[in-house]
Amino acid sequence: MNENTQFKGSHNLHDAANAALFVAAFLGMWQIIFMLGIWPKISLPSPILVAENFAKIIWNGSLPQSIGITLARLIGAFTISATLGILIGFTMIKFKGFGKTLNSFSAGLLSFPSIAWVPFSILLIGFNEFGIMFVVIMSSIFSIMISTYSSIRNIPPIYLDAARNMGARGFLLFRYVTIPAATPSLIIGLRQAWSFAWHAIIGAEILMSIVGLGHILSVGREFLDMSQVIASMITIFAIGLLVDRLLLYKLEDKVRRKWGLDLHR
Amino acid sequence: MTKLQAKNIVKHFDHNGKTVVALDGINLNVEEGDFICIVGPSGCGKSTFLNVVAGLEKPNSGEILLNGKLISTPGPDRIMVFQEGALFPWLKVIDNVEFGLKIAGIPKEERRELSHRYLDMMQLTKFADSYIYQLSTGMKQRVAIARALAMDPEVLLMDEPFAALDSQTRDLLLVELQLIWERTKKTIIFVTHNISESVILGNKVAIFKNRPAKIKKEIVIDYRRPRLAEDENLQKYYHQIVEELKSEVMPHAKDDTQ
Repeated sequence: MNENTQFKGSHNLHDAANAALFVAAFLGMWQIIFMLGIWPKISLPSPILVAENFAKIIWNGSLPQSIGITLARLIGAFTISATLGILIGFTMIKFKGFGKTLNSFSAGLLSFPSIAWVPFSILLIGFNEFGIMFVVIMSSIFSIMISTYSSIRNIPPIYLDAARNMGARGFLLFRYVTIPAATPSLIIGLRQAWSFAWHAIIGAEILMSIVGLGHILSVGREFLDMSQVIASMITIFAIGLLVDRLLLYKLEDKVRRKWGLDLHR
Repeated sequence: MTKLQAKNIVKHFDHNGKTVVALDGINLNVEEGDFICIVGPSGCGKSTFLNVVAGLEKPNSGEILLNGKLISTPGPDRIMVFQEGALFPWLKVIDNVEFGLKIAGIPKEERRELSHRYLDMMQLTKFADSYIYQLSTGMKQRVAIARALAMDPEVLLMDEPFAALDSQTRDLLLVELQLIWERTKKTIIFVTHNISESVILGNKVAIFKNRPAKIKKEIVIDYRRPRLAEDENLQKYYHQIVEELKSEVMPHAKDDTQ
């Protein structure tokens, strides 16, 4: 056990060193390209200019505020999307014909670009919070429905046989076997849906909002302020990465360990 | 007293539009306290028969009577030990053993006590808090047996539970299962394709005929226990079954080469 944690610790350190090296190399390349002067300073600022802009938008509060608004919208919309999506997924299991039809229907909407929901949402709901959340919900809910449906359908029948053999039926079977047996694959589905939602919110904010991360990105463009554009992009990248690594990946990893699914060498 | 009775069980499967007769009129009487082994070539329908007894599959015709009462659904009075254990990877060993008790609504204290008793019987106490993937195949089957015994079923159904084990572990479990049977007086139906396994375990052996499956013969093995795999005196029973099966395996082998 102790050996294991030690190994894990040095493993993490190793990963961090690799990441730092990668970032340093990236910044170095960027600086070199900047110094070659291929593009004017206004089109491609140096890393230091971007850092200065970062400091500025953090200092004047516009970045923290934008992050807060975007995340609040995203979490609100994603919660609705996950709750509804999972419930509809369960219904699809319960009513087989409905499930089959909706599954093929959803597969089509899965590849539907999130941005294409924007005009529809503006006309239906308007330029407001609900309009933005609508785009996010529509962009992620089908993925959640499909993954709930297929996670349950892919449960090895032997688990259900064994549980029924021990007298589990109806709600008890669902609660104590179906749900836990579907969990590992359900988490993967939620992780994917979260990334769809994240794409959607930035797109929707660029086109529909007067606050939020997507908005400061488009303000940067309007004022020809490339350093703000890049600073916003880095923020979007960093949040996406942090949420995935610290929350969703951790959750998935925990379940996989418990099941013994991560023993590949 | 007759514990379980199978009356003229017929089961068909549709396979690529063709109807395959898996069970063609199975009749079997199991007395209380019987340890009955069902032996036959693979694909002869013996597992299907066990699934019908368990209520996991519905027969096309015929009926199963338990204590004289007709049964048609799965129930905790007939607990199955599956070939691959069928343990739940999201639960710890002890929670796996307690699963059926929890479903039956038995209070937690009582559940713990029962599960510890059977984990102890299967020498698994040390592993109560392990997850399933941390166990060897032999240990998994012990957990599955503990889980089944904890339910205190009227009939214990075992579907080739030792097929995936190495021979040392199997020999050990063959002896343990006999001791458990003597201690608990359980009625056991044990399906296997392994003839010596059936001779060691069964006080009766039902020999299944090839597709479509019927019971060709039932033999009684009245011999002291615990019986060991290497016991010479079991040879005559072994050869008796081999003779019965010989004519069955041949056409089956031809079937497979098509």
